[in-house]
Amino acid sequence: MTLAVPPTVPDPSVRSAIARLRQEFPELAPGPIVLVVRTCREELRGSPDGALPELVERLARQRLRVALD
Amino acid sequence: MGYVDVSAVRHTLSDGRVLLDDVSFRIGEGARAALVGENGAGKTTLLRIIAGDLAPEAGSIARTGGLGVMRQFIGSVRDDTTVQRFLVDLSPPAVREAWDAVEATELTLMETDDERSQMAYADALAQWGDAGGYDAEVTWDTVTVAALGVPYERCKYRELSTLSGGEQKRLALEALLRGPDEVLLLDEPDNYLDVPGKRWLEERLLETRKTVLFVSHDRELLARVADRVVTVEGGTAWVHGGGFGSYHDARTARHERLAELRRRWDEEHQRLMELVRTLQQQAANSPDMAGRYHAMQTRLAKFEAAGPPPDRPPEQRVAMRLRGGRTGVRAVIAEQLELTGLMQPFDLEVWYGDRVGVLGANGAGKSHFLRLLAGQHVTHTGDWRLGARVVPGFFAQTHAHPEWHDRTPVDLLWHGEPGRPGVDRGRAMAALRRYGLADQGEQPFRTMSGGQQARFQILLLELSGATLLLLDEPTDNLDVLSAEALEEALAAFEGTVLAVTHDRWFARSFDRFVVFGADGRVYESAEPVFDETRVQRIR
Repeated sequence: MTLAVPPTVPDPSVRSAIARLRQEFPELAPGPIVLVVRTCREELRGSPDGALPELVERLARQRLRVALD
Repeated sequence: MGYVDVSAVRHTLSDGRVLLDDVSFRIGEGARAALVGENGAGKTTLLRIIAGDLAPEAGSIARTGGLGVMRQFIGSVRDDTTVQRFLVDLSPPAVREAWDAVEATELTLMETDDERSQMAYADALAQWGDAGGYDAEVTWDTVTVAALGVPYERCKYRELSTLSGGEQKRLALEALLRGPDEVLLLDEPDNYLDVPGKRWLEERLLETRKTVLFVSHDRELLARVADRVVTVEGGTAWVHGGGFGSYHDARTARHERLAELRRRWDEEHQRLMELVRTLQQQAANSPDMAGRYHAMQTRLAKFEAAGPPPDRPPEQRVAMRLRGGRTGVRAVIAEQLELTGLMQPFDLEVWYGDRVGVLGANGAGKSHFLRLLAGQHVTHTGDWRLGARVVPGFFAQTHAHPEWHDRTPVDLLWHGEPGRPGVDRGRAMAALRRYGLADQGEQPFRTMSGGQQARFQILLLELSGATLLLLDEPTDNLDVLSAEALEEALAAFEGTVLAVTHDRWFARSFDRFVVFGADGRVYESAEPVFDETRVQRIR
């Protein structure tokens, strides 16, 4: 299977965002959450390292909410 | 490394007067140039033109290396500006713009938390990083620790108005000296700094490799730091390539040279006009002379069209005549004097003709001591008295006369006060003219500049016939030239002088020093002492 988004180097911001969003959205399977978080991480490439965890999590949360609405 | 090149700059005031014309000079890489001139000569306007706040009417400014500007008002900020905003404003334009974008997107995000706002916020943060914002925050941390003793995170939301004038100045200076800009324009950087603060500033300016153009009235700072002096006078500017020590002689020599050039031009002008007149008469009698007459007319016209060389700038019209008079040998005697709660008892004898500098810690009672000698009510124990024929004349700091605020100098001179008879309008205007205050005669005291208020107070001393001058920070608001006029007047004064001062240059003209220590001790010193710390009291 080919992923839509190439896997990023695992980083703490992605891991922590996935963990929190899985708790926040129990109705969603882990796969889509991981995909959305990784996509957001890629799109936010170039953002300052220190701000990345917050930016990734916020954007991913926003997209998941829209997807559920 | 950066430089500033000012070329043929001209600026006209809104009333049509030409303030600056043909101003050209270059501040080369690593130079420390002082900008001096009388109040109102155009120093701040010139700085604003160099900073890009004002467009010159003619001419141009070239500079490289990034420009950092410290404005004169820093030290008296009383609005709700925070430390963070203050440091952002002192940063290079790219950092300021990136910061404004971050702030704007944060606000948008608070109102609309959608994907678009989040991406805009992420972009703004990326720009902030690219502009060097994160590096700037690291520098600001060093700056606040150095200036205020606390990390940036702990003071960034603190309002600037909660800092003293000296702390505000120090914060700005630390930020600019540690920042990336290679050219610094500093408008009165030493205002609000005490003497140890001024010494710190001197050391920092001496060790920096940046190019600095600064305005200051502190002659000690000028003498220690400036390696060239740009003078704004006579509607233009000229540069003395040496330090302040040789500046006075250089300025006098320049004025004499300008006067000599002008005198020669006037003589040549007169000679050509007489030749034209003579040839005109000869041409009337002899047609052969008509050609020579017309040639001479043309020569005169060309000479006049080229115009005269610039005249020497008018000397500052300040002629202080502090006459004084002979008094008893002992002018001031204090025995076990103690101003209640301010100091330990002390003895003091001041002799006729003494020049006594009163130095020491802020809050130690120096000004109260002068007020006591001036006859004002100050709670004390012990004895004090003035000698025979000693008439005290008191010069207070300029903010110390609220009762004068709405009155004009002419009115104050006309009415007089106890110990100083009133004078008629003609004499009042003549006296004001001598002090360079003719134009301020009918203007409320509160609207006069600090320097004008100070000069007016010295005029009142002259008219009071004082034989003991009690001066509280008399040079604080005086420009360099007015301060020198005051020193000359004091040198010629027949009488005794006690002056409270933090002006190190002025203090050199005194021969005795009484020091009010932070520990309450009052002692004499042969040399000026400026490192007494502030008196700590429970407030």
